[in-house]
Amino acid sequence: MNHAIISCLLANLPAAEAVLNDIDRQGIDTITCLGDLVGYGPQPNEVVELIRKRGIATCQGCWDEDIIDGLNACECSYPSQLAERRGHLAHQWTDDQLTDENKSFLASLPTSLRRDRLLFVHGSPNSQHEYLLPNMDAFAALERVETAGADILFCGHTHQPYVRELRDGSIRVRLQNADHDCDQGEELTLPMRKIVNAGSVGEPRHGSTNATYVIHNDATDEVEIKEVAYDVGRTCQAIVEAGLPKVFAWRLSHGFEFAEQAEDASHVCER
Amino acid sequence: MRSHQGKCGYLRLDGYPSNGLEQASDSGIDKAFLKDQFPELIDLSDSHHASRSQQGDLLTLIELPQFQAPQHAGLTGMDPRVKNQLEALQLHPDRHLHFGRDPELPNKDTLEFKKLESFSLSLNASVWDPPSLNTLWFELVNGAYGDVYRAKALMNLPDGRSMFFNWIVSQESSQFLPLEEISAPNGRPASLSELIVQGKHLDGLRIQSTIDLCLLNDAVLEMHQMPLRDRQKEAIPST
Repeated sequence: MNHAIISCLLANLPAAEAVLNDIDRQGIDTITCLGDLVGYGPQPNEVVELIRKRGIATCQGCWDEDIIDGLNACECSYPSQLAERRGHLAHQWTDDQLTDENKSFLASLPTSLRRDRLLFVHGSPNSQHEYLLPNMDAFAALERVETAGADILFCGHTHQPYVRELRDGSIRVRLQNADHDCDQGEELTLPMRKIVNAGSVGEPRHGSTNATYVIHNDATDEVEIKEVAYDVGRTCQAIVEAGLPKVFAWRLSHGFEFAEQAEDASHVCER
Repeated sequence: MRSHQGKCGYLRLDGYPSNGLEQASDSGIDKAFLKDQFPELIDLSDSHHASRSQQGDLLTLIELPQFQAPQHAGLTGMDPRVKNQLEALQLHPDRHLHFGRDPELPNKDTLEFKKLESFSLSLNASVWDPPSLNTLWFELVNGAYGDVYRAKALMNLPDGRSMFFNWIVSQESSQFLPLEEISAPNGRPASLSELIVQGKHLDGLRIQSTIDLCLLNDAVLEMHQMPLRDRQKEAIPST
């Protein structure tokens, strides 16, 4: 059966509506959302209410957590002073806009969802804030999936959709025992695991302004990355009308992130 | 100028208004950059040095902003008012080159715009967060604050370096050149720092407000500079 995974809606209502319409047209009725319903974008309440109304199973994203718990930055949060200050401005604006009811909903979200051998998280099983970038060290990536006890890990947060298969790996362990002057060796064959990143609905970062999401077939394990065009101009107009920085609209309309994110694939989030 | 064996001089003329159009004011960026690259450069706008224009081996670069190409090639195409200005300085040009006309100069450096808005900002004593500067420049030259046809700047970095930034809309990418002179990482530098932008529909207020988010305050600047000073101390062998 096909099911859809969406992530990083970031208060972009036209993008969220377009993606959900695209999923509906395909007759898919199981949808999982990987969080970041709010942040930077101009319609935080509308997006939260859309997800609530549709009853979409959702885990908590980094923005959702920050709105509830306050900012607690690690260096992976913002790669520049400008990005940090823009992020704080957007955080304050979103905090002011969100209703108490919608904040309570964000606070109630779990940090992960599990269905059999499938695990759904926002960033990584360790943290909503950790980036599993596509070029992350393979051993570290496998460790994230394996220790979480999943065959397939669905994540978002990077805004770059990708499917990464981790297979044909092995670890050779050699124990040298000085007392007995003998070597003991063992080779472990690592299981095949998969990381699927859903990209971003509300703030794409894949070279186009199109929203992205993924469809997974749980019988065949086939994954399809989907792109959906939406009315970017409508969101940009709403950004300006909301009094958010105009540069957010400019960046979104060119397929750039509102504020650029860290790209160090070796970084381990210390939040 | 790099290949010239003798002394080099520089003179910037202001140019003249034309049909109600005003020339943009000179930011001093070119002179500061040339002075850094050629420390012996003679500034002929300084009256103390004007007499040195007679030195036989002096190669003088004279810059003159113009709204349109001269009608005639060579020296005959020079504006008589400019000739008079130069004669007063005892300068007798032997060549007159114009961007877009003479092959000695890059032909892409010509902009055929009758009217440009200009935005300039003094950034003296300002020091940038380097990744923020990268973002600001990217946004600026790609149109986030209006249609930018030309942008030029001298920017200070916390490690004491200054960078010359140069953008022309007709070229594929910006030019980023480090200046030779490096300030000690000890507070705010005294060197010239300016930004000048030309284009249309420029939103100077938004440029300014973004810049404000990029500049380092004293405490953060000290955080950048203290380890640099410590490393410099360690590098000096004790006697």
